Amino acid sequence: MNRDEAKTILLLYRPGTADADDPQIAGALALAKQDPDLTRWLAEHCARQEALRAGFRQITVPAGLKEQIISEQAAQEKVIFWRQRAVLAAAAVVAALTLVVLAPLWFPHRGNEDTFAIYRSRMVRVALQGYSMDLATNNPAQVRAYLAQNHAPADYVLPAPLKKTAVTGCAIEGWQGAKVSMICFRTGKPLPPGQQSDLWLFVIDRSTVKNAPPTGSLQFVQVNKLMTVTWTQGDKLYVLGMEGDEQTLRQYL
Amino acid sequence: MAEGLDFERLVACYYEPLYQFAFSLARDESDACDLTQQTFCIWAAKGHQLRDASKVKTWLFTTLHREFLGARRRQTRFPHIELEFAAAELPVVSPPTVNRLDAGQALEALARLDEIYQAPVALFYLQDCSYNEIAEILDVPLGTVKSRLTRGLGRLHQLLTGTTTQPQPPDL
Repeated sequence: MNRDEAKTILLLYRPGTADADDPQIAGALALAKQDPDLTRWLAEHCARQEALRAGFRQITVPAGLKEQIISEQAAQEKVIFWRQRAVLAAAAVVAALTLVVLAPLWFPHRGNEDTFAIYRSRMVRVALQGYSMDLATNNPAQVRAYLAQNHAPADYVLPAPLKKTAVTGCAIEGWQGAKVSMICFRTGKPLPPGQQSDLWLFVIDRSTVKNAPPTGSLQFVQVNKLMTVTWTQGDKLYVLGMEGDEQTLRQYL
Repeated sequence: MAEGLDFERLVACYYEPLYQFAFSLARDESDACDLTQQTFCIWAAKGHQLRDASKVKTWLFTTLHREFLGARRRQTRFPHIELEFAAAELPVVSPPTVNRLDAGQALEALARLDEIYQAPVALFYLQDCSYNEIAEILDVPLGTVKSRLTRGLGRLHQLLTGTTTQPQPPDL
Protein backbone atom coordinates (compact mmCIF):
# COMPACT_ATOMS: atom_id res chain seq x y z
CA MET A 1 0.00 0.00 0.00
CA ASN A 2 1.50 3.34 -1.01
CA ARG A 3 0.66 6.78 0.33
CA ASP A 4 -1.99 7.60 -2.31
CA GLU A 5 -3.71 4.29 -1.80
CA ALA A 6 -3.69 4.89 1.94
CA LYS A 7 -5.24 8.32 1.46
CA THR A 8 -7.98 6.85 -0.72
CA ILE A 9 -8.76 4.28 1.91
CA LEU A 10 -8.61 6.79 4.75
CA LEU A 11 -11.16 9.00 3.04
CA LEU A 12 -13.70 6.61 4.50
CA TYR A 13 -12.23 6.83 7.97
CA ARG A 14 -14.28 8.55 10.64
CA PRO A 15 -12.46 9.05 13.91
CA GLY A 16 -14.31 7.75 16.93
CA THR A 17 -16.29 5.14 15.03
CA ALA A 18 -15.85 1.45 14.32
CA ASP A 19 -14.28 2.28 10.96
CA ALA A 20 -10.83 1.55 12.39
CA ASP A 21 -11.91 -2.10 12.71
CA ASP A 22 -11.99 -2.40 8.92
CA PRO A 23 -8.81 -4.29 7.93
CA GLN A 24 -8.04 -1.94 5.03
CA ILE A 25 -8.48 1.16 7.15
CA ALA A 26 -6.50 -0.39 9.98
CA GLY A 27 -3.68 -1.03 7.52
CA ALA A 28 -3.81 2.53 6.21
CA LEU A 29 -3.81 3.91 9.74
CA ALA A 30 -0.77 1.80 10.58
CA LEU A 31 0.98 3.20 7.53
CA ALA A 32 0.03 6.75 8.53
CA LYS A 33 1.76 6.28 11.86
CA GLN A 34 5.03 5.59 10.06
CA ASP A 35 4.74 8.31 7.43
CA PRO A 36 4.99 11.91 8.72
CA ASP A 37 3.38 13.39 5.58
CA LEU A 38 0.54 10.93 5.80
CA THR A 39 0.23 11.60 9.51
CA ARG A 40 -0.17 15.31 8.82
CA TRP A 41 -2.65 14.65 6.02
CA LEU A 42 -4.62 12.32 8.26
CA ALA A 43 -4.82 14.96 10.98
CA GLU A 44 -6.19 17.49 8.51
CA HIS A 45 -8.54 14.92 7.08
CA CYS A 46 -9.87 14.01 10.50
CA ALA A 47 -10.44 17.69 11.26
CA ARG A 48 -12.38 18.06 8.01
CA GLN A 49 -14.37 14.93 8.74
CA GLU A 50 -15.27 16.23 12.18
CA ALA A 51 -16.23 19.58 10.72
CA LEU A 52 -18.43 17.95 8.11
CA ARG A 53 -20.06 15.70 10.65
CA ALA A 54 -20.67 18.66 12.90
CA GLY A 55 -21.99 20.66 9.99
CA PHE A 56 -24.46 18.02 8.93
CA ARG A 57 -25.58 17.48 12.48
CA GLN A 58 -26.44 21.12 12.83
CA ILE A 59 -29.53 20.44 10.76
CA THR A 60 -32.18 21.50 13.19
CA VAL A 61 -35.38 19.57 13.52
CA PRO A 62 -38.54 21.72 13.42
CA ALA A 63 -40.06 22.19 16.83
CA GLY A 64 -43.06 20.00 17.47
CA LEU A 65 -42.27 17.44 14.78
CA LYS A 66 -42.21 14.58 17.24
CA GLU A 67 -45.52 15.63 18.79
CA GLN A 68 -47.02 16.08 15.35
CA ILE A 69 -45.98 12.59 14.28
CA ILE A 70 -47.37 11.04 17.44
CA SER A 71 -50.61 12.99 17.44
CA GLU A 72 -51.29 12.38 13.77
CA GLN A 73 -50.64 8.70 14.21
CA ALA A 74 -53.04 8.64 17.14
CA ALA A 75 -55.64 10.41 15.02
CA GLN A 76 -55.01 7.97 12.20
CA GLU A 77 -55.46 5.03 14.57
CA LYS A 78 -58.75 6.51 15.73
CA VAL A 79 -59.92 6.82 12.15
CA ILE A 80 -58.84 3.26 11.44
CA PHE A 81 -60.52 2.08 14.64
CA TRP A 82 -63.82 3.70 13.74
CA ARG A 83 -63.53 2.65 10.14
CA GLN A 84 -62.99 -0.92 11.26
CA ARG A 85 -65.95 -0.62 13.62
CA ALA A 86 -68.06 0.76 10.80
CA VAL A 87 -66.97 -2.03 8.49
CA LEU A 88 -67.68 -4.61 11.17
CA ALA A 89 -71.07 -3.07 11.89
CA ALA A 90 -71.92 -3.01 8.20
CA ALA A 91 -70.77 -6.60 7.86
CA ALA A 92 -72.90 -7.59 10.84
CA VAL A 93 -75.94 -5.88 9.36
CA VAL A 94 -75.36 -7.56 6.00
CA ALA A 95 -74.88 -10.92 7.71
CA ALA A 96 -78.04 -10.44 9.77
CA LEU A 97 -80.06 -9.45 6.72
CA THR A 98 -78.66 -12.37 4.77
CA LEU A 99 -79.59 -14.67 7.60
CA VAL A 100 -83.10 -13.27 7.76
CA VAL A 101 -83.55 -13.61 4.02
CA LEU A 102 -81.95 -17.00 3.60
CA ALA A 103 -82.85 -18.67 6.86
CA PRO A 104 -86.21 -19.88 5.55
CA LEU A 105 -84.37 -21.50 2.65
CA TRP A 106 -81.71 -23.08 4.80
CA PHE A 107 -84.07 -24.09 7.59
CA PRO A 108 -87.45 -24.47 5.90
CA HIS A 109 -89.74 -24.49 8.96
CA ARG A 110 -88.08 -27.55 10.31
CA GLY A 111 -89.39 -26.72 13.73
CA ASN A 112 -93.02 -27.00 12.63
CA GLU A 113 -92.69 -29.12 9.53
CA ASP A 114 -93.57 -32.36 11.24
CA THR A 115 -96.60 -31.13 13.13
CA PHE A 116 -99.96 -32.78 12.75
CA ALA A 117 -101.73 -29.78 11.13
CA ILE A 118 -99.20 -29.68 8.31
CA TYR A 119 -99.39 -33.42 7.88
CA ARG A 120 -103.17 -33.25 7.58
CA SER A 121 -103.05 -30.38 5.08
CA ARG A 122 -100.49 -32.20 3.00
CA MET A 123 -102.60 -35.33 2.86
CA VAL A 124 -105.71 -33.35 1.91
CA ARG A 125 -103.74 -31.76 -0.89
CA VAL A 126 -102.68 -35.20 -2.10
CA ALA A 127 -106.29 -36.29 -2.20
CA LEU A 128 -107.51 -33.17 -3.96
CA GLN A 129 -104.70 -32.33 -6.31
CA GLY A 130 -104.25 -35.67 -7.87
CA TYR A 131 -102.56 -38.91 -7.12
CA SER A 132 -102.13 -42.16 -8.92
CA MET A 133 -103.09 -45.30 -7.15
CA ASP A 134 -100.28 -47.78 -6.77
CA LEU A 135 -102.82 -50.54 -6.66
CA ALA A 136 -106.33 -50.35 -8.05
CA THR A 137 -108.50 -53.09 -6.57
CA ASN A 138 -111.79 -53.61 -4.84
CA ASN A 139 -110.27 -56.24 -2.59
CA PRO A 140 -109.40 -54.90 0.87
CA ALA A 141 -107.14 -57.86 1.54
CA GLN A 142 -105.06 -57.10 -1.55
CA VAL A 143 -104.75 -53.53 -0.42
CA ARG A 144 -103.47 -54.58 2.98
CA ALA A 145 -101.13 -57.12 1.45
CA TYR A 146 -99.72 -54.60 -0.99
CA LEU A 147 -99.10 -52.08 1.75
CA ALA A 148 -97.48 -54.67 3.98
CA GLN A 149 -95.31 -55.83 1.14
CA ASN A 150 -94.09 -52.29 0.62
CA HIS A 151 -93.49 -51.63 4.31
CA ALA A 152 -96.25 -49.08 4.61
CA PRO A 153 -98.66 -49.21 7.58
CA ALA A 154 -100.84 -52.23 6.91
CA ASP A 155 -102.06 -53.30 10.32
CA TYR A 156 -104.59 -50.51 10.50
CA VAL A 157 -108.00 -50.96 12.12
CA LEU A 158 -110.99 -49.73 10.20
CA PRO A 159 -114.21 -48.56 11.85
CA ALA A 160 -117.06 -50.91 11.09
CA PRO A 161 -118.88 -48.55 8.65
CA LEU A 162 -115.68 -48.00 6.73
CA LYS A 163 -115.11 -51.72 6.43
CA LYS A 164 -118.38 -51.89 4.52
CA THR A 165 -117.43 -49.10 2.16
CA ALA A 166 -116.11 -50.10 -1.21
CA VAL A 167 -112.35 -49.95 -1.60
CA THR A 168 -110.98 -48.71 -4.90
CA GLY A 169 -107.27 -49.10 -4.26
CA CYS A 170 -104.32 -47.65 -2.45
CA ALA A 171 -101.19 -45.56 -2.76
CA ILE A 172 -98.16 -45.03 -0.62
CA GLU A 173 -97.22 -41.47 0.22
CA GLY A 174 -94.34 -40.10 2.21
CA TRP A 175 -94.08 -37.84 5.22
CA GLN A 176 -90.85 -36.86 6.92
CA GLY A 177 -89.22 -40.04 5.73
CA ALA A 178 -92.06 -42.26 6.94
CA LYS A 179 -94.52 -44.08 4.72
CA VAL A 180 -98.18 -43.16 4.70
CA SER A 181 -100.79 -45.67 3.59
CA MET A 182 -103.49 -44.02 1.52
CA ILE A 183 -106.56 -46.19 1.18
CA CYS A 184 -109.17 -45.02 -1.31
CA PHE A 185 -112.90 -45.66 -1.03
CA ARG A 186 -115.96 -44.93 -3.02
CA THR A 187 -119.10 -43.92 -1.12
CA GLY A 188 -121.43 -44.59 -4.01
CA LYS A 189 -122.29 -41.01 -4.76
CA PRO A 190 -121.97 -39.91 -8.37
CA LEU A 191 -118.41 -38.91 -9.21
CA PRO A 192 -117.05 -36.58 -11.83
CA PRO A 193 -115.64 -38.32 -14.92
CA GLY A 194 -112.22 -39.82 -14.24
CA GLN A 195 -112.56 -39.74 -10.46
CA GLN A 196 -112.61 -43.17 -8.86
CA SER A 197 -112.72 -42.31 -5.19
CA ASP A 198 -114.41 -39.82 -2.91
CA LEU A 199 -113.28 -40.96 0.52
CA TRP A 200 -109.72 -41.32 1.63
CA LEU A 201 -108.04 -42.73 4.67
CA PHE A 202 -104.45 -41.91 5.55
CA VAL A 203 -102.62 -44.06 8.07
CA ILE A 204 -99.22 -43.31 9.54
CA ASP A 205 -97.20 -44.28 12.59
CA ARG A 206 -98.34 -41.92 15.31
CA SER A 207 -94.80 -41.27 16.53
CA THR A 208 -93.93 -39.64 13.24
CA VAL A 209 -96.34 -36.74 13.70
CA LYS A 210 -96.05 -34.17 16.44
CA ASN A 211 -99.13 -32.81 18.20
CA ALA A 212 -101.36 -35.63 17.02
CA PRO A 213 -104.74 -35.78 18.77
CA PRO A 214 -104.77 -37.98 21.86
CA THR A 215 -106.23 -41.45 21.84
CA GLY A 216 -110.00 -41.59 22.21
CA SER A 217 -110.80 -38.24 20.68
CA LEU A 218 -112.20 -37.41 17.25
CA GLN A 219 -111.09 -34.17 15.70
CA PHE A 220 -113.26 -32.82 12.90
CA VAL A 221 -111.69 -30.06 10.85
CA GLN A 222 -112.54 -28.65 7.45
CA VAL A 223 -109.36 -28.50 5.40
CA ASN A 224 -109.73 -26.97 2.01
CA LYS A 225 -112.67 -28.76 0.30
CA LEU A 226 -112.52 -31.78 2.54
CA MET A 227 -114.05 -32.41 5.90
CA THR A 228 -111.53 -34.41 7.87
CA VAL A 229 -111.70 -36.41 11.01
CA THR A 230 -108.62 -37.53 12.88
CA TRP A 231 -108.19 -40.09 15.59
CA THR A 232 -105.46 -42.12 17.14
CA GLN A 233 -105.70 -45.81 17.78
CA GLY A 234 -102.85 -47.95 18.97
CA ASP A 235 -99.66 -46.72 17.39
CA LYS A 236 -101.43 -45.39 14.31
CA LEU A 237 -102.76 -42.01 13.40
CA TYR A 238 -105.79 -41.97 11.09
CA VAL A 239 -107.02 -39.11 8.94
CA LEU A 240 -110.24 -39.68 7.02
CA GLY A 241 -111.46 -37.09 4.57
CA MET A 242 -114.24 -36.49 2.08
CA GLU A 243 -116.20 -33.68 0.59
CA GLY A 244 -119.16 -33.02 2.81
CA ASP A 245 -119.96 -32.03 6.35
CA GLU A 246 -119.17 -33.57 9.70
CA GLN A 247 -122.46 -35.35 9.82
CA THR A 248 -121.77 -37.12 6.57
CA LEU A 249 -118.33 -38.08 7.62
CA ARG A 250 -119.53 -39.49 10.91
CA GLN A 251 -121.44 -42.13 8.94
CA TYR A 252 -118.14 -43.85 8.26
CA LEU A 253 -116.91 -44.00 11.81
CA MET B 1 -40.42 -8.98 18.01
CA ALA B 2 -40.58 -5.54 16.46
CA GLU B 3 -44.28 -5.27 17.21
CA GLY B 4 -43.43 -4.94 20.88
CA LEU B 5 -41.74 -1.60 20.24
CA ASP B 6 -43.65 1.33 21.60
CA PHE B 7 -44.50 3.76 18.84
CA GLU B 8 -43.84 6.88 20.88
CA ARG B 9 -40.52 5.57 22.09
CA LEU B 10 -39.55 4.70 18.55
CA VAL B 11 -40.44 8.19 17.35
CA ALA B 12 -38.47 9.74 20.19
CA CYS B 13 -35.42 7.66 19.28
CA TYR B 14 -35.39 8.16 15.54
CA TYR B 15 -37.33 11.21 14.45
CA GLU B 16 -34.31 13.53 14.65
CA PRO B 17 -31.85 11.45 12.62
CA LEU B 18 -34.56 10.53 10.17
CA TYR B 19 -35.49 14.15 9.68
CA GLN B 20 -31.84 15.13 9.21
CA PHE B 21 -31.41 12.42 6.62
CA ALA B 22 -34.63 13.45 4.92
CA PHE B 23 -33.55 17.09 4.91
CA SER B 24 -30.15 16.23 3.50
CA LEU B 25 -31.92 14.48 0.62
CA ALA B 26 -34.85 16.80 0.01
CA ARG B 27 -33.32 20.07 1.23
CA ASP B 28 -36.75 21.34 2.06
CA GLU B 29 -38.14 21.47 5.57
CA SER B 30 -41.69 20.66 4.58
CA ASP B 31 -40.67 17.74 2.39
CA ALA B 32 -38.36 16.45 5.09
CA CYS B 33 -41.16 16.59 7.67
CA ASP B 34 -43.47 14.76 5.29
CA LEU B 35 -40.88 12.09 4.60
CA THR B 36 -40.24 11.59 8.30
CA GLN B 37 -43.91 11.40 9.12
CA GLN B 38 -44.61 9.10 6.21
CA THR B 39 -41.85 6.78 7.37
CA PHE B 40 -43.44 6.43 10.80
CA CYS B 41 -46.87 5.96 9.20
CA ILE B 42 -45.49 3.08 7.20
CA TRP B 43 -43.90 1.71 10.33
CA ALA B 44 -47.26 1.85 12.12
CA ALA B 45 -48.85 -0.09 9.29
CA LYS B 46 -46.11 -2.56 8.43
CA GLY B 47 -43.55 -2.46 11.21
CA HIS B 48 -45.04 -5.54 12.84
CA GLN B 49 -43.76 -7.54 9.87
CA LEU B 50 -40.18 -6.87 10.92
CA ARG B 51 -38.99 -9.94 12.80
CA ASP B 52 -35.63 -8.66 13.97
CA ALA B 53 -35.98 -5.71 16.34
CA SER B 54 -32.29 -4.89 15.90
CA LYS B 55 -33.04 -3.94 12.29
CA VAL B 56 -35.45 -1.16 13.19
CA LYS B 57 -33.02 1.64 12.46
CA THR B 58 -32.04 0.21 9.10
CA TRP B 59 -35.70 -0.45 8.29
CA LEU B 60 -36.66 3.15 9.03
CA PHE B 61 -33.85 4.67 6.99
CA THR B 62 -34.47 2.28 4.11
CA THR B 63 -38.14 3.17 4.13
CA LEU B 64 -37.44 6.87 4.20
CA HIS B 65 -34.98 6.59 1.35
CA ARG B 66 -37.45 4.60 -0.73
CA GLU B 67 -40.15 7.12 -0.01
CA PHE B 68 -37.81 9.89 -1.10
CA LEU B 69 -36.98 8.12 -4.34
CA GLY B 70 -40.66 7.42 -4.95
CA ALA B 71 -41.61 11.02 -4.31
CA ARG B 72 -38.84 12.24 -6.53
CA ARG B 73 -39.99 9.99 -9.33
CA ARG B 74 -43.45 11.47 -9.02
CA GLN B 75 -42.11 14.97 -9.11
CA THR B 76 -39.78 16.43 -11.66
CA ARG B 77 -38.57 19.33 -9.66
CA PHE B 78 -35.14 17.94 -8.93
CA PRO B 79 -33.13 18.67 -12.03
CA HIS B 80 -30.06 16.58 -12.38
CA ILE B 81 -26.99 18.80 -12.51
CA GLU B 82 -23.68 17.20 -13.25
CA LEU B 83 -21.01 18.13 -10.81
CA GLU B 84 -18.61 19.03 -13.56
CA PHE B 85 -20.96 21.78 -14.74
CA ALA B 86 -21.82 23.03 -11.30
CA ALA B 87 -18.41 22.92 -9.75
CA ALA B 88 -17.34 26.10 -11.44
CA GLU B 89 -20.16 27.99 -9.75
CA LEU B 90 -19.24 26.87 -6.26
CA PRO B 91 -17.40 29.14 -3.89
CA VAL B 92 -14.22 27.54 -2.71
CA VAL B 93 -13.87 27.35 1.02
CA SER B 94 -10.37 27.81 2.29
CA PRO B 95 -8.93 25.01 4.42
CA PRO B 96 -9.20 26.89 7.73
CA THR B 97 -12.85 27.68 6.94
CA VAL B 98 -13.71 24.12 6.03
CA ASN B 99 -13.11 23.18 9.62
CA ARG B 100 -15.92 25.51 10.70
CA LEU B 101 -18.71 24.44 8.39
CA ASP B 102 -22.30 25.06 9.27
CA ALA B 103 -25.25 22.93 8.18
CA GLY B 104 -26.09 25.21 5.28
CA GLN B 105 -22.62 24.97 3.79
CA ALA B 106 -22.45 21.24 4.32
CA LEU B 107 -25.82 20.71 2.68
CA GLU B 108 -25.04 23.03 -0.17
CA ALA B 109 -21.92 21.06 -0.89
CA LEU B 110 -23.86 17.82 -0.60
CA ALA B 111 -26.43 19.11 -3.02
CA ARG B 112 -23.71 19.66 -5.59
CA LEU B 113 -22.73 16.02 -5.55
CA ASP B 114 -24.05 13.63 -8.11
CA GLU B 115 -27.30 12.20 -6.81
CA ILE B 116 -26.00 8.67 -6.36
CA TYR B 117 -23.42 9.97 -3.84
CA GLN B 118 -25.75 12.12 -1.79
CA ALA B 119 -27.55 9.46 0.24
CA PRO B 120 -24.45 7.45 1.18
CA VAL B 121 -22.52 10.60 2.11
CA ALA B 122 -25.43 11.89 4.19
CA LEU B 123 -25.72 8.59 6.03
CA PHE B 124 -21.95 8.55 6.44
CA TYR B 125 -21.81 11.89 8.19
CA LEU B 126 -25.21 12.16 9.81
CA GLN B 127 -25.72 8.79 11.36
CA ASP B 128 -22.30 7.25 11.65
CA CYS B 129 -23.84 4.31 9.85
CA SER B 130 -21.48 1.45 9.20
CA TYR B 131 -20.74 0.63 5.58
CA ASN B 132 -22.88 -2.49 5.93
CA GLU B 133 -25.79 -0.48 7.27
CA ILE B 134 -25.50 2.02 4.43
CA ALA B 135 -25.43 -0.84 1.94
CA GLU B 136 -28.53 -2.32 3.53
CA ILE B 137 -30.39 0.97 3.67
CA LEU B 138 -29.63 1.85 0.07
CA ASP B 139 -29.99 -1.74 -1.07
CA VAL B 140 -26.68 -1.80 -2.91
CA PRO B 141 -23.64 -4.05 -2.49
CA LEU B 142 -21.05 -3.16 0.12
CA GLY B 143 -18.36 -2.62 -2.51
CA THR B 144 -20.58 -0.16 -4.33
CA VAL B 145 -21.17 1.74 -1.10
CA LYS B 146 -17.45 2.05 -0.45
CA SER B 147 -16.82 3.10 -4.01
CA ARG B 148 -19.57 5.72 -3.95
CA LEU B 149 -18.42 7.00 -0.59
CA THR B 150 -14.87 7.31 -1.78
CA ARG B 151 -15.89 9.26 -4.86
CA GLY B 152 -18.55 11.26 -3.07
CA LEU B 153 -16.29 12.24 -0.20
CA GLY B 154 -13.46 13.03 -2.57
CA ARG B 155 -15.67 15.36 -4.55
CA LEU B 156 -17.12 16.87 -1.42
CA HIS B 157 -13.67 17.74 -0.17
CA GLN B 158 -12.76 18.99 -3.60
CA LEU B 159 -15.78 21.25 -3.64
CA LEU B 160 -15.05 22.63 -0.22
CA THR B 161 -11.32 23.13 -0.56
CA GLY B 162 -10.81 23.48 -4.27
CA THR B 163 -8.22 20.74 -4.23
CA THR B 164 -8.32 17.20 -5.40
CA THR B 165 -8.03 15.07 -2.36
CA GLN B 166 -7.60 11.70 -3.89
CA PRO B 167 -7.58 9.82 -7.15
CA GLN B 168 -11.08 8.56 -7.87
CA PRO B 169 -11.65 4.85 -8.01
CA PRO B 170 -14.11 3.64 -10.61
CA ASP B 171 -17.70 3.19 -9.47
CA LEU B 172 -18.52 -0.48 -8.89
